[in-house]
Amino acid sequence: MATQVLPGGALRGDAPGGINPVGIMPGFVTRDGVTVLEAEPLARNPEPSRRYYFYMMAPAIITLAAISLYPFFWLIWMSLHDVDIMAGDKWVGLKNFERLFTRDAKFSNGWLLLIQYSAMCLFFEVLLGVLIAVLLNRSRWEKVLVTVFLMPMMMAPAIAGLVWYYLYNGTFGWYHWFMQSVGLLGETSILGSPSTAMIGLVLVDIWQWTPLIVLITLAGLKRVPRDQLEANMVDGAGEIRNFFQVVLPNLYPFLLIGILLRFMDNFRFIDSVLILTGGGPADATNILPVYLFDVSFQYFKLGRGAAIALTLLVVTIILGMFLVKIFDSPAARNVGRTEG
Amino acid sequence: MASVSIDKVWKYYGQTPAVKELHLEVADGEFVAVLGPSGCGKSSTLRMLAGLEHISAGEIRFGAKRINDLPPRDRDIAMVFENYALYPHKTVFDNMANPLKLRGVERSVIEDRVRKAAAILEIGHLLERRPGELSGGQKQRTAIGRAIVREPALFLFDEPIAHLDAKLRAHMRGELKLMQRRLGTTMIYVTHDQLEALSMADRIAVMNDGVLQQLGTPRQIYDHPVNAWVAGFVGEPPINFLDCRIVEEKGELRLVHSSFDLVLRPEQAAIVRERYAQREVRMGIRPDQIAISTVETPDSFGGQILVTEPIGGDMLVDVSLGGDKVLVKTRPDFEGRMDSPCYLTLDRGRWHLFGKDDGVALF
Repeated sequence: MATQVLPGGALRGDAPGGINPVGIMPGFVTRDGVTVLEAEPLARNPEPSRRYYFYMMAPAIITLAAISLYPFFWLIWMSLHDVDIMAGDKWVGLKNFERLFTRDAKFSNGWLLLIQYSAMCLFFEVLLGVLIAVLLNRSRWEKVLVTVFLMPMMMAPAIAGLVWYYLYNGTFGWYHWFMQSVGLLGETSILGSPSTAMIGLVLVDIWQWTPLIVLITLAGLKRVPRDQLEANMVDGAGEIRNFFQVVLPNLYPFLLIGILLRFMDNFRFIDSVLILTGGGPADATNILPVYLFDVSFQYFKLGRGAAIALTLLVVTIILGMFLVKIFDSPAARNVGRTEG
Repeated sequence: MASVSIDKVWKYYGQTPAVKELHLEVADGEFVAVLGPSGCGKSSTLRMLAGLEHISAGEIRFGAKRINDLPPRDRDIAMVFENYALYPHKTVFDNMANPLKLRGVERSVIEDRVRKAAAILEIGHLLERRPGELSGGQKQRTAIGRAIVREPALFLFDEPIAHLDAKLRAHMRGELKLMQRRLGTTMIYVTHDQLEALSMADRIAVMNDGVLQQLGTPRQIYDHPVNAWVAGFVGEPPINFLDCRIVEEKGELRLVHSSFDLVLRPEQAAIVRERYAQREVRMGIRPDQIAISTVETPDSFGGQILVTEPIGGDMLVDVSLGGDKVLVKTRPDFEGRMDSPCYLTLDRGRWHLFGKDDGVALF
């Protein structure tokens, strides 16, 4: 056979002039028992143009800009102005923020209450949600029961607020009557007393949103690998250890989704609070979103309202990222993968 | 250490029986492979031994102790699962330490035993990693490590190397066998791969359709299958079956096929006369027990080569034999060509005869 030069045969190194007895071609070298090629092709085939990707994404980017980015920048603009629909807008710089952080007791109070409210809601919703999901997962009537459990979630929050408004009512509310009969309540209604109003709101949120956690957890429970549970049983674990050692770690990614959804929802929640208490009594339930509503749409201080909204947004984003970070630990990241 | 008695055990899933009246005795320190195709009841058997499945009927004893109603953790067993079942959120060390921790073993003892086991399995350098960062073989070793740290009375292995690549699987066969011999622990090893069973086990229990077909040493299973199904399942490449007739002539019994005709030896004839009334039989002969040549010899018979398949150290030849197809394993330098005639000779004593209808082995 004649000497054959490979395409692009930039023949470097130890390649012999022709095909050697064992058939190694020019350009190929055997090193440490492996044949390697020390040449590159003369020309590469052109790769498809990337402009194509931009055209495909353009509609989504434009839509996003119109419905999300434009209002966002407008919000920032408003927070730097004294917005007055009648007299026209006036640039005030950071005055709106300055007032919030130095002289506005309702603002700091709103934050405090919001954190209390969200923390209580989240804690009980996750606790109850996981517990109910575990029980449902073992129940023979799981499908029927899930449907029943989901009903509160289907209700519009404002309607739920109305339902509970009547249940809590001091004159004819069934809950009020019940709590009074067992001696847990005095004369004032649940929502009427500053010490219990917040609990009343938390109960409504738990009632309405625990089902979401149940649903998400239930989906997670179906994905807990059975062989891990069995291996742990053979290793010597009982039911409870199995739950904490295998089930719970496998649930982390699912719980993260639930907690994130609920936490972000709580931070902008207003519907049933407005109906049930409107922030009262004596500002005991005046959580920040409610205060924001009052400032913007009761007193029409839209500039100051925008400043409150902006702080709320920033804190939500920071807390959200923090949460994701906790749950995205190396331990949690490996969870839920099928090893095999 | 423990012996295991599986005594008339049944497993039902609803109305469907998965294991039917299984009887199996495993001696202390023995390595028994349970071999069968998927759905034969072998995994159900193992899971009943582990305590992960309820025993529908019958009794299982470890030593003299009945264990039917004991939970898995009280059975003193360790199990290796098909998909390894490692805890993804724990490191290799914690995975292996888990059974010891759950039993409240002292921290220093745990450390010591895990490191020793890791050294045996050559995964000492991986102890801080998590399963997600391990290769298939390393995961598998971790799973075995978790089983051996506890020094249990009985090992249960459920297809532990089925998902490894072929090369690693061949390597692990030797290692597992060596490990079991060194530890001397009783081992029950479920597999669908006859090569694993033949190469590793002291005895093999072959199961099909929930029923134990044959229990014996690898040699017994391979050389003396009790029925046509076992003969067909064990052996690679698989055994050839040829439908034949028994013909009596001048006091001799002859085995007649459309392309050959054999005189049964007196002891073979005696067995057939005593145990088999019909004339139709099925002959079984393994590919490596047929000699093939391009030259005719006195007791050879002719066929036609269909395909030759060189597989490195051996050559497989498909031969057409009077309407039947026979696979022959021969030397790689066999010079026969496709579509040319060839001549086959049977290895005298080493073929089998099965009943035509029931498949029961006559010899």
